[in-house]
Amino acid sequence: MNQSQIIEKMQTIFDKLFLEPVVLTPELSAKGVEEWDSLMQISIVVAVESLFNIRFKMGEVEATQNVGQFADLIARCLASKAS
Amino acid sequence: MGYSYDTIKSLLISKRPEFWQALKQASQDAVSLEEILFLATLRKRADASKDIPPVDGVTSLRIAILGGYSLYPLRELIEQSLFAVGYVSHCYLGAYDNYTSEILDDTSDMVAFKPEVVILLPSQRRHSYQGALTDDRQVIEGHLKKECQQLLALTHTLHEKTKADILLYNFIPPPGHDLGTYRNKTLASPWSYTALLNLELGLNAPSYVQICDVHFMAARMGLLVAQDRRGWFESKQLGSPALLVAMARESARIIAALRQPMKKVLVLDLDNTIWGGVIGDAGLEGIELGDTSPRGEAFKYFQKYVLSLTERGILLAVCSKNDHDKAMEPFEKHPEMVLRSQHIVCFKANWQPKSDNIRAIAQELNLGLESFVFVDDNPAEIEIVRQFLPQVSTISLASDPSDYVGQLEDSHYFEPLVITREDRDRSSQYMRETRYKELQSVATDMDSYLSSLAMQATFSAFTRVDVPRIAQLINKSNQFNLTTKRRSESEVLALLASDQHVTCTIRLSDRFGDHGLISVVIGQIDGDCLHVDTWLMSCRVLKRQVEEEALNELVRLAVRSGCSQVVGHYLPSAKNGMVKSHYQNLGFTTVREDDDGGDYVLHIAGYRPKQTNISIVRSAK
Repeated sequence: MNQSQIIEKMQTIFDKLFLEPVVLTPELSAKGVEEWDSLMQISIVVAVESLFNIRFKMGEVEATQNVGQFADLIARCLASKAS
Repeated sequence: MGYSYDTIKSLLISKRPEFWQALKQASQDAVSLEEILFLATLRKRADASKDIPPVDGVTSLRIAILGGYSLYPLRELIEQSLFAVGYVSHCYLGAYDNYTSEILDDTSDMVAFKPEVVILLPSQRRHSYQGALTDDRQVIEGHLKKECQQLLALTHTLHEKTKADILLYNFIPPPGHDLGTYRNKTLASPWSYTALLNLELGLNAPSYVQICDVHFMAARMGLLVAQDRRGWFESKQLGSPALLVAMARESARIIAALRQPMKKVLVLDLDNTIWGGVIGDAGLEGIELGDTSPRGEAFKYFQKYVLSLTERGILLAVCSKNDHDKAMEPFEKHPEMVLRSQHIVCFKANWQPKSDNIRAIAQELNLGLESFVFVDDNPAEIEIVRQFLPQVSTISLASDPSDYVGQLEDSHYFEPLVITREDRDRSSQYMRETRYKELQSVATDMDSYLSSLAMQATFSAFTRVDVPRIAQLINKSNQFNLTTKRRSESEVLALLASDQHVTCTIRLSDRFGDHGLISVVIGQIDGDCLHVDTWLMSCRVLKRQVEEEALNELVRLAVRSGCSQVVGHYLPSAKNGMVKSHYQNLGFTTVREDDDGGDYVLHIAGYRPKQTNISIVRSAK
């Protein structure tokens, strides 16, 4: 799965969890979305792990700066799971 | 029933009052952490905006959550789970690992918050064994007991200060294979130590402490699923998201259970519920029940479980579409039946709608429909009851009888917060009362009814061994109590030696069982007067002529003490209106009667003992 395919899948989570519609782009980050607070961050990480059936290592998610980097992290997790 | 999240969102955005019901339903249905957090966000948003009128029928509740973990997002999950069961909470959230000082410090904000419920998650790190694996068992046990006592002492202090109910989380045994076969051979292993500490906590917990059983919940979902070391290192979480959700749900359920009356009656269908097949078609030999077939064995196992509920004080009733005699036949004649007719307090087998029958059972037992649970394998019958008697809880049994017991076990309807010996006896007591009602309906007049009871009363002066029961009656009886004079056990004991008093207890039994010590009379001798200082009776035996026999005895005791008159007094209380005319009814003459009560006299000369249907035994003094 490439970055845009992963972002497309992530969009379903955001569609469900956000009251105001959010359109995911690689450049988008929590700072740009009012509803994306620390509680929402917990929800997003838990939902992403369950949707992609992956488990992040400690600190990995915090290190990502935007949706694009987050999607790349997901891609790496999926790849290492497959190998 | 379910609401899609888009629907709930649009209800919120369009400010519709149905939003609250939809949110409540969705909160009950939600399974994952992110769903519950999302619904919590919607709830807070609706609260803050105040655009939607607040929901009816919710109770507000002050809770404090304290512990050796980060209590966030657990707090959100607990509050949302409480909302799902009808509570709007106001929450005090403790600081991370600060619970001891929050409890001990008299000036703490937590105490000032006045919580009604405190949820306490003690730190597992602080309650693990630090010694060596080879330490003596006694040493480790001593350490463990001390830790348990300290923790319970903390809950005691907490309760003293807040009067709150306390939910105490226990500890998760670690799921690692570590130590192998040696794991169970030393109490110093984290596995053994945690397991025993959890047991000690539960076995020693006082009534105001409910154990919120993390050990059990984690084991149920799988310890590997429940544990989350990453969550601990990253943000000091108790466990995995799945465990947090499960514990939040469990906490809310316990809090609700503390505030709601427990279920009292289990109403059973018969065909394909307690036996396989239809008794009306298959007959006694044709139904599946007993150890000869797997299905028969499963039905028998179900009956055993159902019978075990009576020990918790649950009453059993039957509601079946059947001919009465055919339905009763297995209870009387089938050798594999575990449930017998004496276990069923009310038996309705007829062709009336089940909702009508259940309503009739509730009336006969004089219990509210809210305390009823109805089980049936037929979804149509469940639906009728749900529609016509929405107060009744229902369990729609699965298609496989091997699942029946699990369905009841997981229904949460029969979870006692405490079990008393009284619970165990409740079933037989009700049984007696319903039999009286049956008997009353066949007996044509009161006299033949009373005579059919074959009552026997035993009279005795107070004895040492009866003192606790006598004191209990003296201090608890309100209705049939002429003077409501309370006495301590030692005051009762003093009467045994007094030559100024005559005392009498009455025990009653009949063909349905023993009622025990049900009446207490104390007379005070004053010259030729015997003043009735105390006359009380348990209301269970009203209208059974016990009063008349008590008067016969009182007169006998008066004569023996050289008295020529019995003087009765009525002191009105908020609850004893039922005995206002007690002495007039017994033929006493009114001396005085006003707002403060009355004095009544009976001259013994010419007294003719009352005739009753009770045979009298006088125990030797």
